[in-house]
Amino acid sequence: MPTFTETAKATKKKREIKLVGVDMYIITEKGIPKFDDIGAFKCEFISNRGTKVWPGFVSPDLLQVNWYRCRFMATKDVQDADVNTFLDALTKKGWWWSAAQKLWTYDGEPGFSKAY
Amino acid sequence: MGTQHVVTMLPGEGTGPEICEAVRLVIDASGVNIKWEYEDIGLDCLDKYGTLLPDKTIQNIAKNKVALKGPTTTPIGTGHKSANVTLRKVFDLYANVRPAKLIPVLKRPWDKIDIINFRENTEDSYAAIEHMVSDEVAQCLKVITWPGSYRIADFAFKWAKANGRKKIFCVHKANIMKMTDGLFLDAFREVAKKYPDIESGDIIVDNCCMQLVRNPAQFDCLVLPNLYGDILTDLCAGLVGGLGFAPGANVGDGCAIFEAVHGSAPKYAGMKKVNPSAVLISGIMMLRWLKEEAAAARIEKAMFAVLDERKHVTYDVGGTAKTDEYAQAIVDKMHAKA
Repeated sequence: MPTFTETAKATKKKREIKLVGVDMYIITEKGIPKFDDIGAFKCEFISNRGTKVWPGFVSPDLLQVNWYRCRFMATKDVQDADVNTFLDALTKKGWWWSAAQKLWTYDGEPGFSKAY
Repeated sequence: MGTQHVVTMLPGEGTGPEICEAVRLVIDASGVNIKWEYEDIGLDCLDKYGTLLPDKTIQNIAKNKVALKGPTTTPIGTGHKSANVTLRKVFDLYANVRPAKLIPVLKRPWDKIDIINFRENTEDSYAAIEHMVSDEVAQCLKVITWPGSYRIADFAFKWAKANGRKKIFCVHKANIMKMTDGLFLDAFREVAKKYPDIESGDIIVDNCCMQLVRNPAQFDCLVLPNLYGDILTDLCAGLVGGLGFAPGANVGDGCAIFEAVHGSAPKYAGMKKVNPSAVLISGIMMLRWLKEEAAAARIEKAMFAVLDERKHVTYDVGGTAKTDEYAQAIVDKMHAKA
């Protein structure tokens, strides 16, 4: 007899997973970061406390902390090794980061939220 | 006529437009001088603009710095971002002020409830940082910051001091979430030191829920992180008569948006059936924010009188009046000679 976990997992739909980008959590006291393209990754947006601060309108009253989520999307098909190269390049450029989260699509649907 | 205020009106969708017209009728009759500028928001914008919150609307609110908003619907699950949350984020409306006060005519099991909830409006698990971190695990980051926590606590103490309130409690779950809720509580305690004349304390969120339904009169002001605030403010609304009478203000340092907290009830759209009181009381809050106390008090007194008479009230409080008939009754009451 299958365990409950096995039963639950059996209901899971098989989905095609594809690496499409990386969310980088950057710590800086110098305000909104600016990035050139880094390898196969291009910065799509930057948010602070969940609010998009680049590109587009930013309220002058917006409270910002020293921790930015920077979304980098792949400009071509990428593998995990490309992320390693990207992280190394980002560090060499002097960016201090607290975490990285790979972004995957599942059957083509994003497995990640947008910023407000 | 006094100073003219320019206010963005966001009728929203569903029953929103008919509610907002009723509320405008009452506010315009109160003697206050308001120029209304109408802008679109909500599901009806999708076909026209491809978004729930068009840039044109954002620009108008940025110009006027004050708005009155009708109800909108947020799609559940995947799809478009909530217009409400987007507004709060874009304008950094960090303080959600949600009073819960008994309206005398509405029969409730309690003698007194007069609570002001201050919900942090921009952080917590509303930071929109969610990922499918594997094909069977979803993760949402709960973001609590020291500046954000300090700011809402300071806002609450300042409001309490300005309005003669005596006691503020911080609601949290810091016994379990020691980093996030712990930070929120630490910031609250730091701010409390600046206001020695106001009694302060803290209470764990689950105990707070139980205490609210057993003895709500013990509470004065509550400061809450976003998610607990979302839930407890509706609980408090239920205590005093439901969302039909629950006003809300979303306030930042440079802008304020006043809104009903109930949904848009699309099945009643066009029937002029629903109670506009929540938006009207939000409008009264807006008038006070605009320093139009006399107009605010005039509307409040007339509204209570109409509710007390029960001749021209909507179906949810036992009447048969249409939305606009209820509003007209309030206008007539304001204009009646004492």
